[in-house]
Amino acid sequence: MNKIAIVIPTRSYLINLAIVGAILIGAMWLITSLFAQGLVPLGSALSAITVFIALIYLRRKFTPLRWLGIGLALAMLFTLYPLFYTLYISVTNMGSGHLMAKQQAINRLESELYLPESGATYSWTAFQSADGASYVLWLIDADGTGYLARPGSPLEAVTPGTGIVGAADENNIPLTLEGYERLPLNRTVPIITQLSAIDFGEAPNTVRVSSLREAAALQPKYRYDAAQDAIIDQETGEIYRPVEGTFTSESGEELPIGYIDYIGARHFQNFLGNEGFREPLLAMLMWNITFAFCSVFFSFCVGLIVTILFENLPGKRVIRALLIIPWPIPVLISILIWRSMLNPDLGFVAPILESIFGSSPDWFSNVGWTRLAVVMVNVWLSYPYFYVITAGAIRSIPGEIYDAALVDGASGWGKFYHVTLPLLLRIMMPLLIASFTFNFNNFNVIYIFNFGLPPMPNTIVPMGYSDILISFVYRLAFVTSNVTNYGLAAAITVLLFLLVAGLVIIQLRFTKALKETA
Amino acid sequence: MDAVQNHSTSRAVSMRKPISPRKLVRYFLLYLLAVALILFAVIPALWVVSASLNPAKSLIGGTFFPAEPSFVNYEELLSSEFFPYAKWFVNSLKIASITTVITVFLTSLAGYALSRFRFQGRRVLMLAILVLNVFPSILAMVAIFSMLQQLGTVIEWIGLDTHAALILLYSTGSMGINVLLVKAYVDSIPVELDESALVDGATPWQTFRHIVFPIMTPIVITIGVLTFIAAYGDFVIARVLLKSSENLTVMVGLQLFQTDRFDQDFGVITAGAVLAAIPIILIYIPLQKYVIDGLTAGSVKG
Repeated sequence: MNKIAIVIPTRSYLINLAIVGAILIGAMWLITSLFAQGLVPLGSALSAITVFIALIYLRRKFTPLRWLGIGLALAMLFTLYPLFYTLYISVTNMGSGHLMAKQQAINRLESELYLPESGATYSWTAFQSADGASYVLWLIDADGTGYLARPGSPLEAVTPGTGIVGAADENNIPLTLEGYERLPLNRTVPIITQLSAIDFGEAPNTVRVSSLREAAALQPKYRYDAAQDAIIDQETGEIYRPVEGTFTSESGEELPIGYIDYIGARHFQNFLGNEGFREPLLAMLMWNITFAFCSVFFSFCVGLIVTILFENLPGKRVIRALLIIPWPIPVLISILIWRSMLNPDLGFVAPILESIFGSSPDWFSNVGWTRLAVVMVNVWLSYPYFYVITAGAIRSIPGEIYDAALVDGASGWGKFYHVTLPLLLRIMMPLLIASFTFNFNNFNVIYIFNFGLPPMPNTIVPMGYSDILISFVYRLAFVTSNVTNYGLAAAITVLLFLLVAGLVIIQLRFTKALKETA
Repeated sequence: MDAVQNHSTSRAVSMRKPISPRKLVRYFLLYLLAVALILFAVIPALWVVSASLNPAKSLIGGTFFPAEPSFVNYEELLSSEFFPYAKWFVNSLKIASITTVITVFLTSLAGYALSRFRFQGRRVLMLAILVLNVFPSILAMVAIFSMLQQLGTVIEWIGLDTHAALILLYSTGSMGINVLLVKAYVDSIPVELDESALVDGATPWQTFRHIVFPIMTPIVITIGVLTFIAAYGDFVIARVLLKSSENLTVMVGLQLFQTDRFDQDFGVITAGAVLAAIPIILIYIPLQKYVIDGLTAGSVKG
C-alpha cells in the first residue's frame, strides 16, 4: 500500500558507479593486505561486506537498500563480525605470546637477525647528509677494502678518490663524501643508538653498527621451511615445528613468538570441568544475578515509593526536580564521586559514621560492604530514571479502573496492591527486564567503584568478590598484562552471550517490539 | 497506602477543605522522608562542587563547605603538568559531536527507507537489527580490540588508539535501536506527503530531504541528544581502545587520574569531575523532554 516506485536517472547511476568503484578498489587493497598477513577471519568478513556493498549499489533491484548501505556495512563490521569473531577466539589459544596470525609470526621471526661467528666484521666511519636526516657508513673489511653502505641499497666497493667519494686519509677513510659530512668520533658517540638501529645495505646482506668501532654483517636467524612447515634456526640448525601455535623443538624448547591456533573447546572444559575454576565462577554468577536483581528491584522501589507518596504533596515539583539531580551527571563521574566520598582517609562519610557509630565500614576491602556499596551507588544512579518512567506509567492508568475498584470496595492498600501494582508491572515489565539485562553487564559501577575487588584468594586466574562476569572478562583480557588470555575471556563472553540471549527472549515475550517490526 | 487513596479521591474532592491534624502529621512525615531522600540525591553532587572549590590539599577535618572557596583547583587543573585535561575535554567533545552527526545521518536514512520502501528481506533485516541490538558492544570488546589491532596494521588511522575507530564503534553501537525509533516515527507521518511530492516530480532523495526530514526533527533531536550523551559519557570502550595520554577522553583520563593521584590531587580531580559533567548538564536541562521520550521509547538507559 505504501509502495513507492523508484526511478533512478542514469546520471546518478554513473556517479554511483564511480564512487562505489573507488570504494571497491580501496576495499580490495585492504582485503589483499589482510590476507597477505594471514588475517583470514577479518579478510573474509571484509570480503563479504564488500560483495554486499557492490551488489546493492550496482544492481537496481536492491535500490532501496542503498539508503541503508553504509550503515549496514559499518554495523556488519563493528557489531556483527565481533560477535562471530568472539566465537572464533573462544576456541583458540589467543593471548599473550599468541597474538598474531601464523604468517605474521613467521614474518616476525624471519626478521630477527643474528651475528654469525664466521660473518664479516668491519670498522666503520659515519657520514651525515647535509640536512642531517640520513647517514652513510664507510666500511673497511679485514682485507682493508673500503665499502660505501647506504640503507636499502647493496654495499658498493669503492676506491677512494672516485665518483662522489673523496681522497682517503692514511687509514683508507675518505676525507669527504659529496653531499655528506664526515663525523668525527666525538659526534658519533651521541647518536650511536640511532645509528645502531639502522640497517645498512640491502636485505638479506645488511650491516649494523655493533659497537663504537665495529659494524657487522647480520644474517636472518630463522628461516621458515614451507615444505616441512617448520622454522629452522640458522645459527644452531635446530628445527622448530608448530605445536598448537608455538614453534617447538624436539627437546621441547619453544620460540617466544607464537601464533593464534585452534585448540578446540579447551577453554570451556577448563571452566566447566575444572572444579577450582567452576566453583568461584558459579559464585561470581550468583553475585552477578543478585547484583542485577537488587539494583533493579531497589531502584524500581525507590522510584515507585517516591512517585506514590509525593503524588499530591504540595511542592512536589520542587521535590521532583531535586530528586532527579543524579540523572544528568555522567555515570563515570557519579561513581568517582561516590568512590571519593566513601574513601576511608579522604572522604567525608567515614568521619561522620565514626562519630555516630564509633566505626566506619570498609567499603573497599570487606566483601559484604563492598557489595552493598556498589548496589547503593547503582541505585543512586538509576532510581531517577525509574521515578520518571513510573510516574509516566501511573499517569497512563485510566481513572475509571480506580473508580471500578472503589465500587468493589477496595481500600487504599487493596487498590494499590490489586490495581495499581499489577497494571504498573505489566506496563513496565519489558523495561524491568531490559534494565536487568543492562545491569547484568553493568561494567562501569563494578569496575570504576572498586575494580571488582576485594580479590578472591587462591583462584587460578585473578577474580574479585565484587566482580561480575563482564568485569572479570575485562580483567582477564586487559588488566593482568603478563598473562592475558583472550581465548578464555572470549569463552566466558560466549557464556554471557547465552545468558543475555535468554534474558532477551524472556523480554520479547513481554514486549510488542517484535510485532512492531511488521 | 494512604497516598494512593488520596491519589484518586483528590480528583473529586476539593483541596480547600481545612487540613485535619491527621493529615498534618502525615505531611510532616512525608516531608521528613522527602528531605532524607533529597539529601541522598543531592549530597554527592554538592560535595563534589564544594571539594572542587576547597583550596586546601586535604579535606581531613575540613568542613563540608570550604571557609575560603576559590577557583585555584580549576586553574591548576587546566595548567597541570601531569595530565592534559583541556586536551581530553576537547577530545571528548570532538568524538561525541562527530559520532552524533554520523549517527543522525545514518539512522535517518535507514529509518526512512525501512518505513517507506518495500523490498525483499525487509522484515528479516528489521528482525536482525532487533536481535543484534541486544548484545551491547562491551560484550564483544575482546574481539573488537583484536579486530582493530589487525585493521591498524593495514590502515593506521583506524586501528587501536585512534579516535576514528572509537567514533565508528559509537556510531554503530546503538544504531539498531535508533533506526527502529526513526522508523516508528516516520511510520506516523502520512505517506501521502511523500506521494504527492513524488507525483510532482521530486526524486526520493529530494522528498526525504525537503519534505520528510524537516518533520522528523523531534526524533532526530532525541537520537542526537542520546547519542551525544552516550558517546561523551562512555568509559569502557574508550578505556580499552585508547592508550596514549593525549588521545584519552575526559572520562578515561579522569578515572586514571583519580586512581593514580587521588591522595595528592584531591581538589584538582574534583574540579575535573565538575567541569566534565557540565556539557551534559547543559544539554540535558533544555532537552530533558527528548531524553525522557527517547529512553521511554527505547527502554534502555544509556
